[in-house]
Amino acid sequence: MEPGLLKSADWPLLIDLYFFLGGVAGGAFVLATVAALVDERRFRDLMRVGYYVALLAVIPGPILLIVDLGLPGRFLHMLMVNKPSTDIGMNAITAGPFHLKLLSPMSAGAWALLIFGACAFLAALMVFLEDRGNRRFGLSRTIVGIVGSVFGLFLAAYPGVLLGATARPLFINSHWLGALFLAVGGATGAAAIALIMSILGGQNREALTRLMNFTSLALILEAALLVLFVGTVWMSGSAGIKQALGQLLAGSDSLLFWLAVIVGLVIPLALQFGGVIRKANPGLAALVSVLVLVGGFVVKYVIIAAGQRVLS
Amino acid sequence: MARTLAMFTDVSLCIGCRACQVACKQWNQLAPEEPEWTGSYQNHSHFTDMSYRLVRFFEQGDGKGGLTWHMMSDVCKHCAQAGCLEACPTGAIYRTEFGTVNINQDICNGCRYCVAACPFGVVAFNEGTGTATKCTFCNDRIHNGLGPACAKACPTESIRFGFRDELATKARKRVEDLRKMGFKEAQLYGEDQNGALGGLNAFFLLLGKPSIYGLPESPKLPQSNVFVDSLLAIGSAVLVGLGAVVTFRNRGGQGGA
Repeated sequence: MEPGLLKSADWPLLIDLYFFLGGVAGGAFVLATVAALVDERRFRDLMRVGYYVALLAVIPGPILLIVDLGLPGRFLHMLMVNKPSTDIGMNAITAGPFHLKLLSPMSAGAWALLIFGACAFLAALMVFLEDRGNRRFGLSRTIVGIVGSVFGLFLAAYPGVLLGATARPLFINSHWLGALFLAVGGATGAAAIALIMSILGGQNREALTRLMNFTSLALILEAALLVLFVGTVWMSGSAGIKQALGQLLAGSDSLLFWLAVIVGLVIPLALQFGGVIRKANPGLAALVSVLVLVGGFVVKYVIIAAGQRVLS
Repeated sequence: MARTLAMFTDVSLCIGCRACQVACKQWNQLAPEEPEWTGSYQNHSHFTDMSYRLVRFFEQGDGKGGLTWHMMSDVCKHCAQAGCLEACPTGAIYRTEFGTVNINQDICNGCRYCVAACPFGVVAFNEGTGTATKCTFCNDRIHNGLGPACAKACPTESIRFGFRDELATKARKRVEDLRKMGFKEAQLYGEDQNGALGGLNAFFLLLGKPSIYGLPESPKLPQSNVFVDSLLAIGSAVLVGLGAVVTFRNRGGQGGA
Protein backbone atom coordinates (compact mmCIF):
# COMPACT_ATOMS: atom_id res chain seq x y z
CA MET A 1 0.00 0.00 0.00
CA GLU A 2 1.25 3.44 -0.90
CA PRO A 3 1.70 5.23 2.43
CA GLY A 4 1.62 8.68 0.85
CA LEU A 5 -2.08 8.39 0.07
CA LEU A 6 -3.37 7.97 3.59
CA LYS A 7 -4.24 10.56 6.19
CA SER A 8 -3.85 10.46 9.94
CA ALA A 9 -6.33 11.28 12.67
CA ASP A 10 -3.43 12.89 14.56
CA TRP A 11 -4.84 11.87 17.92
CA PRO A 12 -2.78 13.76 20.50
CA LEU A 13 -1.24 12.77 23.83
CA LEU A 14 -4.64 13.15 25.53
CA ILE A 15 -5.86 10.03 23.78
CA ASP A 16 -2.73 8.03 24.64
CA LEU A 17 -3.21 9.05 28.25
CA TYR A 18 -6.84 7.88 28.15
CA PHE A 19 -5.86 4.54 26.58
CA PHE A 20 -3.26 4.11 29.34
CA LEU A 21 -5.60 5.05 32.19
CA GLY A 22 -8.36 2.85 30.76
CA GLY A 23 -5.95 -0.08 30.87
CA VAL A 24 -4.89 0.70 34.44
CA ALA A 25 -8.53 1.04 35.53
CA GLY A 26 -9.63 -2.18 33.85
CA GLY A 27 -6.63 -4.17 35.10
CA ALA A 28 -6.92 -2.90 38.68
CA PHE A 29 -10.67 -3.59 38.77
CA VAL A 30 -10.24 -7.18 37.55
CA LEU A 31 -7.47 -7.89 40.07
CA ALA A 32 -9.49 -6.43 42.95
CA THR A 33 -12.47 -8.58 41.97
CA VAL A 34 -10.46 -11.78 41.57
CA ALA A 35 -8.62 -11.25 44.87
CA ALA A 36 -11.92 -10.61 46.67
CA LEU A 37 -13.49 -13.73 45.15
CA VAL A 38 -10.54 -15.92 46.17
CA ASP A 39 -10.24 -14.77 49.77
CA GLU A 40 -11.90 -11.54 50.76
CA ARG A 41 -10.46 -11.31 54.26
CA ARG A 42 -6.87 -11.98 53.28
CA PHE A 43 -6.91 -9.60 50.31
CA ARG A 44 -9.26 -6.92 51.61
CA ASP A 45 -6.56 -4.22 51.42
CA LEU A 46 -5.76 -5.16 47.85
CA MET A 47 -9.43 -5.08 46.89
CA ARG A 48 -9.92 -1.65 48.45
CA VAL A 49 -6.87 -0.16 46.75
CA GLY A 50 -7.81 -1.86 43.47
CA TYR A 51 -11.35 -0.47 43.36
CA TYR A 52 -10.19 3.02 44.37
CA VAL A 53 -7.45 2.97 41.71
CA ALA A 54 -10.00 1.83 39.09
CA LEU A 55 -12.35 4.70 39.94
CA LEU A 56 -9.62 7.34 40.05
CA ALA A 57 -8.12 6.11 36.78
CA VAL A 58 -11.42 6.06 34.90
CA ILE A 59 -12.65 9.49 36.01
CA PRO A 60 -10.32 11.48 33.70
CA GLY A 61 -11.26 9.23 30.74
CA PRO A 62 -14.42 10.94 29.52
CA ILE A 63 -12.90 14.37 30.16
CA LEU A 64 -9.82 13.59 28.03
CA LEU A 65 -12.00 12.19 25.26
CA ILE A 66 -14.43 15.11 25.24
CA VAL A 67 -11.68 17.74 25.26
CA ASP A 68 -10.14 16.09 22.18
CA LEU A 69 -13.35 16.30 20.10
CA GLY A 70 -13.63 18.90 17.36
CA LEU A 71 -17.00 19.87 18.86
CA PRO A 72 -16.91 18.83 22.56
CA GLY A 73 -20.52 19.94 23.05
CA ARG A 74 -21.63 17.05 20.86
CA PHE A 75 -20.03 14.34 23.02
CA LEU A 76 -23.42 12.69 23.60
CA HIS A 77 -23.61 11.89 19.87
CA MET A 78 -21.27 8.99 20.66
CA LEU A 79 -24.29 7.31 22.29
CA MET A 80 -27.38 9.02 20.94
CA VAL A 81 -28.64 11.45 18.29
CA ASN A 82 -31.97 13.22 18.19
CA LYS A 83 -32.68 12.52 14.53
CA PRO A 84 -30.64 9.51 13.44
CA SER A 85 -30.10 8.70 9.75
CA THR A 86 -31.56 5.45 8.47
CA ASP A 87 -28.45 3.81 7.02
CA ILE A 88 -25.44 4.32 9.31
CA GLY A 89 -23.57 1.13 8.48
CA MET A 90 -23.53 -2.65 8.69
CA ASN A 91 -24.26 -4.12 12.13
CA ALA A 92 -25.57 -0.87 13.54
CA ILE A 93 -28.13 -1.38 16.29
CA THR A 94 -30.47 1.52 16.91
CA ALA A 95 -33.15 1.94 19.57
CA GLY A 96 -34.94 5.26 19.52
CA PRO A 97 -32.25 7.93 19.71
CA PHE A 98 -29.56 5.46 20.89
CA HIS A 99 -27.16 3.60 18.64
CA LEU A 100 -24.44 0.98 18.98
CA LYS A 101 -22.23 0.05 16.03
CA LEU A 102 -20.69 -3.38 16.54
CA LEU A 103 -18.04 -2.84 13.85
CA SER A 104 -16.97 0.52 15.30
CA PRO A 105 -14.83 -0.10 18.41
CA MET A 106 -15.17 3.60 19.25
CA SER A 107 -18.95 3.28 19.45
CA ALA A 108 -18.76 0.09 21.55
CA GLY A 109 -16.00 1.65 23.67
CA ALA A 110 -18.15 4.67 24.52
CA TRP A 111 -20.84 2.35 25.90
CA ALA A 112 -18.25 0.21 27.73
CA LEU A 113 -16.76 3.32 29.33
CA LEU A 114 -20.21 4.37 30.54
CA ILE A 115 -21.01 0.96 32.06
CA PHE A 116 -17.54 0.42 33.51
CA GLY A 117 -17.59 3.91 35.01
CA ALA A 118 -20.84 3.09 36.79
CA CYS A 119 -19.43 -0.22 38.09
CA ALA A 120 -16.18 1.40 39.26
CA PHE A 121 -18.17 4.05 41.10
CA LEU A 122 -20.49 1.50 42.74
CA ALA A 123 -17.66 -0.85 43.75
CA ALA A 124 -15.61 1.95 45.29
CA LEU A 125 -18.70 3.30 47.08
CA MET A 126 -19.58 -0.13 48.50
CA VAL A 127 -16.05 -0.71 49.78
CA PHE A 128 -16.04 2.76 51.32
CA LEU A 129 -19.37 2.19 53.08
CA GLU A 130 -18.26 -1.26 54.27
CA ASP A 131 -15.09 0.24 55.74
CA ARG A 132 -17.21 2.75 57.60
CA GLY A 133 -18.99 -0.23 59.18
CA ASN A 134 -22.36 0.60 57.72
CA ARG A 135 -23.23 -2.79 56.26
CA ARG A 136 -21.95 -5.64 54.07
CA PHE A 137 -22.69 -5.68 50.37
CA GLY A 138 -21.68 -9.35 49.84
CA LEU A 139 -23.60 -10.49 46.77
CA SER A 140 -24.35 -7.13 45.18
CA ARG A 141 -20.65 -6.17 45.35
CA THR A 142 -19.72 -9.49 43.75
CA ILE A 143 -22.18 -8.89 40.91
CA VAL A 144 -20.88 -5.35 40.35
CA GLY A 145 -17.35 -6.79 40.47
CA ILE A 146 -18.03 -9.42 37.82
CA VAL A 147 -19.95 -7.12 35.46
CA GLY A 148 -17.33 -4.41 35.93
CA SER A 149 -14.53 -6.90 35.25
CA VAL A 150 -16.01 -7.86 31.89
CA PHE A 151 -16.27 -4.21 30.85
CA GLY A 152 -12.92 -3.43 32.47
CA LEU A 153 -11.21 -6.01 30.28
CA PHE A 154 -13.08 -4.53 27.31
CA LEU A 155 -11.89 -1.04 28.25
CA ALA A 156 -8.26 -2.21 28.42
CA ALA A 157 -8.41 -4.03 25.07
CA TYR A 158 -10.67 -2.00 22.77
CA PRO A 159 -8.23 0.81 21.98
CA GLY A 160 -5.99 -1.76 20.29
CA VAL A 161 -8.91 -3.15 18.27
CA LEU A 162 -9.93 0.44 17.44
CA LEU A 163 -6.47 1.16 16.02
CA GLY A 164 -6.52 -2.14 14.11
CA ALA A 165 -9.72 -0.95 12.39
CA THR A 166 -8.02 2.04 10.74
CA ALA A 167 -6.25 2.14 7.38
CA ARG A 168 -2.85 3.01 8.92
CA PRO A 169 -0.30 0.43 7.68
CA LEU A 170 1.20 -0.25 11.13
CA PHE A 171 -2.22 -0.94 12.66
CA ILE A 172 -4.27 -2.64 9.93
CA ASN A 173 -1.65 -5.29 9.20
CA SER A 174 -1.59 -6.94 12.61
CA HIS A 175 -4.35 -8.57 14.62
CA TRP A 176 -2.53 -8.41 17.96
CA LEU A 177 -2.91 -4.80 19.16
CA GLY A 178 -6.07 -5.44 21.21
CA ALA A 179 -4.50 -8.44 22.93
CA LEU A 180 -1.29 -6.48 23.53
CA PHE A 181 -3.09 -3.47 25.03
CA LEU A 182 -5.02 -5.79 27.33
CA ALA A 183 -1.81 -7.39 28.63
CA VAL A 184 -0.34 -3.92 29.20
CA GLY A 185 -3.55 -3.02 31.07
CA GLY A 186 -3.20 -6.08 33.31
CA ALA A 187 0.45 -5.36 34.09
CA THR A 188 -0.04 -1.64 34.72
CA GLY A 189 -3.22 -2.21 36.75
CA ALA A 190 -1.33 -4.58 39.04
CA ALA A 191 1.62 -2.20 39.19
CA ALA A 192 -0.62 0.72 40.18
CA ILE A 193 -2.09 -1.27 43.08
CA ALA A 194 1.36 -2.53 44.13
CA LEU A 195 2.79 0.98 44.05
CA ILE A 196 0.10 2.36 46.35
CA MET A 197 0.21 -0.65 48.68
CA SER A 198 3.97 -0.45 49.02
CA ILE A 199 3.73 3.25 49.82
CA LEU A 200 0.96 2.70 52.38
CA GLY A 201 2.97 -0.08 54.02
CA GLY A 202 1.18 -2.14 56.68
CA GLN A 203 0.73 -5.88 56.81
CA ASN A 204 0.41 -6.32 53.08
CA ARG A 205 3.51 -8.39 52.39
CA GLU A 206 1.68 -11.42 51.06
CA ALA A 207 -0.71 -9.50 48.84
CA LEU A 208 2.21 -7.47 47.53
CA THR A 209 4.23 -10.58 46.69
CA ARG A 210 1.32 -12.06 44.80
CA LEU A 211 0.72 -8.79 42.93
CA MET A 212 4.35 -8.73 41.84
CA ASN A 213 4.08 -12.34 40.71
CA PHE A 214 1.02 -11.48 38.67
CA THR A 215 2.80 -8.47 37.19
CA SER A 216 5.56 -10.76 35.97
CA LEU A 217 3.06 -13.09 34.33
CA ALA A 218 1.38 -10.17 32.60
CA LEU A 219 4.76 -8.82 31.46
CA ILE A 220 5.69 -12.19 29.94
CA LEU A 221 2.37 -12.16 28.05
CA GLU A 222 3.01 -8.56 27.00
CA ALA A 223 6.48 -9.44 25.69
CA ALA A 224 5.12 -12.39 23.71
CA LEU A 225 2.33 -10.27 22.21
CA LEU A 226 4.77 -7.46 21.34
CA VAL A 227 6.87 -9.99 19.40
CA LEU A 228 3.72 -11.31 17.68
CA PHE A 229 2.63 -7.75 16.81
CA VAL A 230 5.94 -6.75 15.26
CA GLY A 231 6.36 -10.16 13.63
CA THR A 232 2.97 -10.22 11.93
CA VAL A 233 3.31 -6.65 10.68
CA TRP A 234 6.70 -7.56 9.25
CA MET A 235 5.39 -10.75 7.62
CA SER A 236 2.57 -8.86 5.88
CA GLY A 237 5.18 -7.43 3.48
CA SER A 238 4.93 -4.37 1.14
CA ALA A 239 6.88 -1.13 1.20
CA GLY A 240 4.55 1.02 3.27
CA ILE A 241 4.59 -1.49 6.09
CA LYS A 242 8.38 -1.79 6.13
CA GLN A 243 8.54 2.00 6.31
CA ALA A 244 6.04 2.19 9.16
CA LEU A 245 7.80 -0.57 11.07
CA GLY A 246 11.18 1.01 10.40
CA GLN A 247 9.84 4.20 11.97
CA LEU A 248 9.03 2.26 15.14
CA LEU A 249 12.07 -0.02 15.39
CA ALA A 250 14.85 2.07 13.88
CA GLY A 251 13.47 5.53 13.04
CA SER A 252 12.80 8.59 15.16
CA ASP A 253 10.42 6.64 17.41
CA SER A 254 12.84 3.79 18.05
CA LEU A 255 14.53 5.38 21.07
CA LEU A 256 11.27 5.50 23.02
CA PHE A 257 10.25 2.05 21.80
CA TRP A 258 13.39 0.35 23.04
CA LEU A 259 13.30 2.42 26.21
CA ALA A 260 9.81 1.04 26.85
CA VAL A 261 11.02 -2.50 26.19
CA ILE A 262 14.02 -2.20 28.51
CA VAL A 263 12.43 -0.13 31.29
CA GLY A 264 8.99 -1.68 31.17
CA LEU A 265 9.80 -5.31 30.37
CA VAL A 266 13.45 -6.36 30.66
CA ILE A 267 14.41 -4.69 33.95
CA PRO A 268 11.21 -5.60 35.90
CA LEU A 269 11.41 -9.21 34.71
CA ALA A 270 15.13 -9.42 35.49
CA LEU A 271 14.53 -8.08 39.00
CA GLN A 272 11.67 -10.49 39.52
CA PHE A 273 13.48 -13.57 38.29
CA GLY A 274 16.64 -12.44 40.04
CA GLY A 275 14.64 -13.27 43.15
CA VAL A 276 14.89 -9.75 44.53
CA ILE A 277 11.19 -8.98 44.57
CA ARG A 278 10.15 -12.37 45.88
CA LYS A 279 11.05 -11.17 49.34
CA ALA A 280 8.50 -8.40 48.78
CA ASN A 281 10.70 -5.52 49.77
CA PRO A 282 8.20 -2.64 49.52
CA GLY A 283 10.86 -0.24 48.26
CA LEU A 284 11.86 -2.48 45.39
CA ALA A 285 8.25 -3.38 44.64
CA ALA A 286 7.50 0.34 44.35
CA LEU A 287 10.47 0.82 42.02
CA VAL A 288 9.43 -2.07 39.78
CA SER A 289 5.84 -0.81 39.75
CA VAL A 290 6.93 2.64 38.61
CA LEU A 291 9.04 1.05 35.86
CA VAL A 292 6.11 -1.10 34.69
CA LEU A 293 3.76 1.91 34.68
CA VAL A 294 6.20 4.09 32.74
CA GLY A 295 6.99 1.28 30.32
CA GLY A 296 3.29 0.51 29.82
CA PHE A 297 2.48 4.12 28.97
CA VAL A 298 5.45 4.58 26.67
CA VAL A 299 4.88 1.37 24.70
CA LYS A 300 1.28 2.40 23.94
CA TYR A 301 2.29 5.98 23.20
CA VAL A 302 5.12 5.09 20.84
CA ILE A 303 3.13 2.51 18.84
CA ILE A 304 0.31 5.04 18.33
CA ALA A 305 2.75 7.86 17.48
CA ALA A 306 4.70 5.78 14.95
CA GLY A 307 1.51 4.44 13.35
CA GLN A 308 -0.03 7.89 13.03
CA ARG A 309 2.93 9.64 11.44
CA VAL A 310 2.13 10.34 7.80
CA LEU A 311 4.98 8.90 5.78
CA SER A 312 5.97 10.92 2.68
CA MET B 1 -33.41 2.64 -2.34
CA ALA B 2 -33.26 4.50 -5.57
CA ARG B 3 -31.04 3.32 -8.42
CA THR B 4 -27.37 3.64 -7.47
CA LEU B 5 -25.63 6.67 -8.93
CA ALA B 6 -21.96 6.72 -9.84
CA MET B 7 -19.13 8.78 -11.22
CA PHE B 8 -16.78 7.29 -13.79
CA THR B 9 -13.40 8.96 -14.18
CA ASP B 10 -11.55 7.98 -17.35
CA VAL B 11 -7.89 9.00 -16.97
CA SER B 12 -7.22 8.41 -20.68
CA LEU B 13 -9.30 11.52 -21.40
CA CYS B 14 -7.95 13.71 -18.57
CA ILE B 15 -5.89 16.70 -19.73
CA GLY B 16 -5.06 17.89 -16.20
CA CYS B 17 -6.87 21.23 -16.60
CA ARG B 18 -8.30 21.02 -13.05
CA ALA B 19 -11.63 22.55 -14.06
CA CYS B 20 -13.20 19.87 -11.84
CA GLN B 21 -11.21 21.09 -8.85
CA VAL B 22 -12.30 24.68 -9.46
CA ALA B 23 -15.96 23.79 -10.11
CA CYS B 24 -16.01 21.71 -6.90
CA LYS B 25 -14.61 24.57 -4.89
CA GLN B 26 -17.06 27.05 -6.37
CA TRP B 27 -20.21 24.96 -5.99
CA ASN B 28 -19.36 23.80 -2.47
CA GLN B 29 -18.10 27.27 -1.48
CA LEU B 30 -14.74 25.95 -0.30
CA ALA B 31 -12.36 28.71 0.68
CA PRO B 32 -9.03 29.19 -1.13
CA GLU B 33 -5.96 27.66 0.47
CA GLU B 34 -2.25 28.39 0.58
CA PRO B 35 -0.77 26.65 -2.46
CA GLU B 36 1.52 23.73 -1.74
CA TRP B 37 4.62 22.99 -3.84
CA THR B 38 4.54 19.28 -4.62
CA GLY B 39 7.04 19.22 -7.46
CA SER B 40 4.34 18.94 -10.15
CA TYR B 41 1.13 20.67 -11.17
CA GLN B 42 -0.59 18.79 -8.36
CA ASN B 43 -1.93 21.00 -5.61
CA HIS B 44 -2.35 19.88 -2.83
CA SER B 45 -0.51 16.68 -2.01
CA HIS B 46 -3.58 15.25 -0.23
CA PHE B 47 -7.30 15.88 -0.12
CA THR B 48 -7.98 18.69 2.33
CA ASP B 49 -11.03 20.07 4.10
CA MET B 50 -11.21 22.61 1.26
CA SER B 51 -10.36 20.31 -1.68
CA TYR B 52 -12.78 17.47 -2.37
CA ARG B 53 -11.52 16.95 -5.92
CA LEU B 54 -7.81 16.60 -6.54
CA VAL B 55 -6.07 16.13 -9.87
CA ARG B 56 -3.03 13.98 -9.24
CA PHE B 57 0.01 13.99 -11.55
CA PHE B 58 2.47 11.10 -11.83
CA GLU B 59 5.58 10.49 -13.90
CA GLN B 60 6.40 6.92 -14.83
CA GLY B 61 9.86 6.15 -16.19
CA ASP B 62 10.33 3.28 -18.66
CA GLY B 63 13.92 2.68 -17.53
CA LYS B 64 15.30 3.82 -20.91
CA GLY B 65 15.08 7.53 -20.34
CA GLY B 66 11.49 7.76 -21.58
CA LEU B 67 8.75 9.15 -19.40
CA THR B 68 4.96 8.78 -19.33
CA TRP B 69 2.97 11.57 -17.76
CA HIS B 70 -0.14 10.33 -15.99
CA MET B 71 -2.90 12.57 -14.67
CA MET B 72 -5.97 11.49 -12.80
CA SER B 73 -8.78 13.43 -11.20
CA ASP B 74 -9.22 11.79 -7.81
CA VAL B 75 -12.27 11.99 -5.56
CA CYS B 76 -14.05 10.21 -2.71
CA LYS B 77 -14.85 6.70 -3.96
CA HIS B 78 -18.22 6.42 -2.15
CA CYS B 79 -17.31 2.78 -1.43
CA ALA B 80 -20.09 0.18 -1.23
CA GLN B 81 -18.36 -0.96 1.98
CA ALA B 82 -17.01 2.31 3.37
CA GLY B 83 -14.37 2.39 6.12
CA CYS B 84 -15.40 5.90 7.23
CA LEU B 85 -19.08 4.97 7.42
CA GLU B 86 -18.45 1.87 9.52
CA ALA B 87 -15.98 3.69 11.79
CA CYS B 88 -18.19 6.70 12.57
CA PRO B 89 -19.34 6.31 16.20
CA THR B 90 -21.98 9.05 15.99
CA GLY B 91 -23.95 7.93 12.94
CA ALA B 92 -23.05 11.24 11.27
CA ILE B 93 -21.77 9.38 8.20
CA TYR B 94 -24.64 7.78 6.34
CA ARG B 95 -25.49 6.21 3.01
CA THR B 96 -27.97 8.10 0.87
CA GLU B 97 -30.75 6.50 -1.13
CA PHE B 98 -28.49 6.87 -4.18
CA GLY B 99 -25.76 4.71 -2.62
CA THR B 100 -23.41 7.62 -1.98
CA VAL B 101 -21.71 8.26 1.36
CA ASN B 102 -22.23 11.59 3.09
CA ILE B 103 -21.28 13.27 6.39
CA ASN B 104 -24.12 14.97 8.26
CA GLN B 105 -22.42 18.15 9.49
CA ASP B 106 -25.07 18.62 12.17
CA ILE B 107 -24.18 15.32 13.86
CA CYS B 108 -20.39 14.93 13.41
CA ASN B 109 -18.53 15.73 16.63
CA GLY B 110 -15.01 15.72 15.23
CA CYS B 111 -13.55 12.51 16.71
CA ARG B 112 -11.53 12.00 13.48
CA TYR B 113 -11.86 8.20 13.47
CA CYS B 114 -13.10 8.33 9.86
CA VAL B 115 -9.98 10.27 8.82
CA ALA B 116 -7.78 7.35 9.91
CA ALA B 117 -10.23 4.70 8.67
CA CYS B 118 -10.48 5.79 5.01
CA PRO B 119 -8.39 3.41 2.84
CA PHE B 120 -7.88 6.25 0.32
CA GLY B 121 -7.03 9.17 2.62
CA VAL B 122 -10.11 11.10 1.49
CA VAL B 123 -11.80 12.36 4.66
CA ALA B 124 -10.25 15.54 6.08
CA PHE B 125 -10.75 17.32 9.39
CA ASN B 126 -11.86 20.96 9.26
CA GLU B 127 -10.35 22.88 12.18
CA GLY B 128 -12.78 25.73 11.61
CA THR B 129 -16.03 23.79 11.90
CA GLY B 130 -14.55 21.07 14.12
CA THR B 131 -16.02 18.38 11.88
CA ALA B 132 -14.88 15.88 9.26
CA THR B 133 -15.51 16.79 5.63
CA LYS B 134 -15.27 15.16 2.23
CA CYS B 135 -16.88 15.04 -1.22
CA THR B 136 -20.67 14.97 -0.85
CA PHE B 137 -21.24 13.71 -4.43
CA CYS B 138 -22.88 17.15 -4.67
CA ASN B 139 -25.71 15.84 -2.53
CA ASP B 140 -27.73 19.03 -3.08
CA ARG B 141 -27.36 18.81 -6.86
CA ILE B 142 -28.19 15.12 -7.27
CA HIS B 143 -31.33 15.61 -5.18
CA ASN B 144 -32.40 18.27 -7.68
CA GLY B 145 -31.78 16.44 -10.90
CA LEU B 146 -28.28 17.75 -11.58
CA GLY B 147 -24.99 15.88 -11.81
CA PRO B 148 -22.01 16.69 -9.58
CA ALA B 149 -20.28 20.00 -10.37
CA CYS B 150 -16.98 18.32 -11.29
CA ALA B 151 -18.62 16.09 -13.92
CA LYS B 152 -20.56 19.05 -15.30
CA ALA B 153 -17.39 21.14 -15.65
CA CYS B 154 -15.10 18.50 -17.15
CA PRO B 155 -14.42 19.65 -20.77
CA THR B 156 -13.26 16.25 -22.05
CA GLU B 157 -15.90 14.07 -20.40
CA SER B 158 -13.15 12.37 -18.45
CA ILE B 159 -15.54 12.57 -15.49
CA ARG B 160 -18.94 11.12 -16.23
CA PHE B 161 -22.01 10.89 -14.06
CA GLY B 162 -25.00 8.58 -14.30
CA PHE B 163 -26.60 5.36 -13.14
CA ARG B 164 -23.96 2.91 -11.99
CA ASP B 165 -25.04 -0.01 -14.19
CA GLU B 166 -25.13 2.12 -17.35
CA LEU B 167 -21.77 3.74 -16.61
CA ALA B 168 -20.18 0.34 -15.91
CA THR B 169 -21.29 -0.96 -19.32
CA LYS B 170 -19.82 2.11 -21.04
CA ALA B 171 -16.62 1.78 -19.01
CA ARG B 172 -16.10 -1.86 -19.98
CA LYS B 173 -16.62 -0.96 -23.64
CA ARG B 174 -14.07 1.86 -23.32
CA VAL B 175 -11.45 -0.51 -21.88
CA GLU B 176 -11.93 -2.86 -24.83
CA ASP B 177 -11.55 0.03 -27.28
CA LEU B 178 -8.41 1.30 -25.57
CA ARG B 179 -6.85 -2.17 -25.58
CA LYS B 180 -7.51 -2.45 -29.30
CA MET B 181 -5.83 0.94 -29.72
CA GLY B 182 -2.69 -0.42 -28.06
CA PHE B 183 -3.13 0.57 -24.42
CA LYS B 184 -2.59 -3.00 -23.24
CA GLU B 185 -2.56 -2.09 -19.55
CA ALA B 186 -5.90 -0.26 -19.58
CA GLN B 187 -8.08 -1.48 -16.71
CA LEU B 188 -11.02 -0.51 -14.52
CA TYR B 189 -10.52 0.27 -10.84
CA GLY B 190 -13.44 -0.23 -8.47
CA GLU B 191 -16.03 -1.13 -11.10
CA ASP B 192 -16.36 -4.78 -9.95
CA GLN B 193 -19.08 -5.03 -7.32
CA ASN B 194 -17.72 -8.41 -6.23
CA GLY B 195 -14.25 -6.93 -5.82
CA ALA B 196 -12.55 -4.97 -3.05
CA LEU B 197 -14.88 -2.93 -0.80
CA GLY B 198 -17.91 -4.23 -2.72
CA GLY B 199 -17.07 -1.90 -5.57
CA LEU B 200 -16.59 1.86 -5.67
CA ASN B 201 -19.43 4.19 -6.67
CA ALA B 202 -16.79 6.54 -8.04
CA PHE B 203 -14.74 4.18 -10.19
CA PHE B 204 -11.86 4.77 -12.57
CA LEU B 205 -10.34 3.73 -15.83
CA LEU B 206 -6.57 3.54 -15.42
CA LEU B 207 -3.91 3.17 -18.12
CA GLY B 208 -1.70 1.01 -15.92
CA LYS B 209 -1.44 -0.70 -12.58
CA PRO B 210 -3.19 1.13 -9.70
CA SER B 211 0.17 1.59 -7.96
CA ILE B 212 1.24 4.00 -10.74
CA TYR B 213 -1.54 6.30 -9.53
CA GLY B 214 -0.71 5.78 -5.86
CA LEU B 215 -3.81 3.64 -5.38
CA PRO B 216 -3.79 0.46 -3.28
CA GLU B 217 -3.98 -2.68 -5.48
CA SER B 218 -6.60 -4.30 -3.27
CA PRO B 219 -7.94 -1.88 -0.65
CA LYS B 220 -9.15 -3.58 2.52
CA LEU B 221 -12.09 -2.61 4.71
CA PRO B 222 -10.39 -1.77 8.05
CA GLN B 223 -13.39 -3.13 9.98
CA SER B 224 -12.76 -6.60 8.56
CA ASN B 225 -10.14 -6.82 11.32
CA VAL B 226 -12.56 -6.27 14.19
CA PHE B 227 -13.75 -9.87 14.60
CA VAL B 228 -10.33 -11.55 14.66
CA ASP B 229 -8.73 -8.76 16.72
CA SER B 230 -11.54 -9.09 19.28
CA LEU B 231 -11.15 -12.87 19.49
CA LEU B 232 -7.41 -12.54 20.11
CA ALA B 233 -8.08 -9.85 22.74
CA ILE B 234 -10.55 -12.20 24.43
CA GLY B 235 -7.86 -14.89 24.41
CA SER B 236 -5.47 -12.45 26.06
CA ALA B 237 -8.20 -11.54 28.59
CA VAL B 238 -8.67 -15.22 29.48
CA LEU B 239 -4.92 -15.60 30.06
CA VAL B 240 -4.81 -12.47 32.26
CA GLY B 241 -7.87 -13.65 34.23
CA LEU B 242 -6.47 -17.16 34.68
CA GLY B 243 -3.11 -15.69 35.69
CA ALA B 244 -4.82 -13.62 38.37
CA VAL B 245 -6.82 -16.59 39.71
CA VAL B 246 -3.74 -18.82 39.80
CA THR B 247 -1.58 -16.20 41.52
CA PHE B 248 -4.10 -15.42 44.23
CA ARG B 249 -5.25 -19.02 44.84
CA ASN B 250 -1.77 -20.46 45.14
CA ARG B 251 -1.35 -21.39 48.83
CA GLY B 252 2.42 -21.07 48.96
CA GLY B 253 2.49 -17.32 48.85
CA GLN B 254 5.18 -17.57 46.17
CA GLY B 255 2.52 -17.74 43.49
CA GLY B 256 3.16 -17.71 39.79
CA ALA B 257 2.81 -20.40 37.19
